Amino acid sequence: MSTETFGKWYREDRLPHIFCTGCGNGTVMNCTIKAVDAMGWEIDDTIFVSGIGCSSRAPGYISTDSLHTTHGRALAFATGVKMANPDLHVVVFTGDGDLAAIGGNHFIHACRRNIDLTVICMNNMIYGMTGGQGSPCTPVGKISTTTPYGAAEPAFDLTELAVAAGANYAARWTSYHVAELIKAIRAGLETPGFSFIEALVQCPTAYGRRNKFRQVGEQVEYMRSHAMLLQKKRRLEEQGKDVPDDMFTVGEFVRRYRPALGVRK
Amino acid sequence: MRLVIDERRCKGCNLCTTVCPYHIFQEGRHLNERGIAIPVLDRPERCTNCRLRRLYGRQLCGACQLICPDQAIYWEEDDPYAAEKVVIEY
Repeated sequence: MSTETFGKWYREDRLPHIFCTGCGNGTVMNCTIKAVDAMGWEIDDTIFVSGIGCSSRAPGYISTDSLHTTHGRALAFATGVKMANPDLHVVVFTGDGDLAAIGGNHFIHACRRNIDLTVICMNNMIYGMTGGQGSPCTPVGKISTTTPYGAAEPAFDLTELAVAAGANYAARWTSYHVAELIKAIRAGLETPGFSFIEALVQCPTAYGRRNKFRQVGEQVEYMRSHAMLLQKKRRLEEQGKDVPDDMFTVGEFVRRYRPALGVRK
Repeated sequence: MRLVIDERRCKGCNLCTTVCPYHIFQEGRHLNERGIAIPVLDRPERCTNCRLRRLYGRQLCGACQLICPDQAIYWEEDDPYAAEKVVIEY
């Protein structure tokens, strides 16, 4: 039993899902479904594609057709779906380990080709499903099972990477900023060409437990208080002031209309 | 309209307690039969969506439903509908 939108798009017989208590992936699923429903798309002409990982279990709870593919290759499969039938609306759910680590090459080339896909990356900054190994998005100094003395390497900034590689739309929000995330996903779905939305999510089990966010609310509070709007960061840089190191940037990074692949003329 | 928490889906993460502007959701203290402390509703008739949905004819606020990772929060129609006096403190 739930409201009309959720009742239509969720497979209610499969709920409750297997995500841990307080996992942000469910929030991102809610926002995606709200945005897709606001677009007026139907269940029959929408496809959700995912790879491997916590985030990639999301399409299994949605009543549209979906593909649960090999690790990192969600974008390759989604490209195939879009090329085979350009009338379908293809949305890709992926995680940071899936997209940035093993599927990094697919990601930059999908951005370069500018295929008409919407990619929603649930970035929990760790490999959650396999037990908390460090991913390319683990911030410097954070503890994971493979970086027990703190991650030494700088983390990937996926949204900047998408901008540099040529995506038509790129934005970053967190699972706390639900209204903004819905707007960003909606804008991404509307934009022809490759749209990339990065949603930072909390991971209380694998990430928060080792990094002083033992309660779910603590990490959500961190995302609320340490998010800096892109415009504010640019303004600070223009004025020559220091940008605090511990803040991360949120907002819409780019929206442009380069020629896109897979759009019917 | 009436605010409802689905006890079969809630996993007790208490994210709803952080977003409600009226602090309707309070951390639960008693475990249910699944071992989960479900948040308790403190005067749920103050909820914006419950009060004004009929007037505006659309979904209002809804932050708790969106942030709930387990899709456990929803609204139910009250029947028969009865006018109710509500005191709002900000």
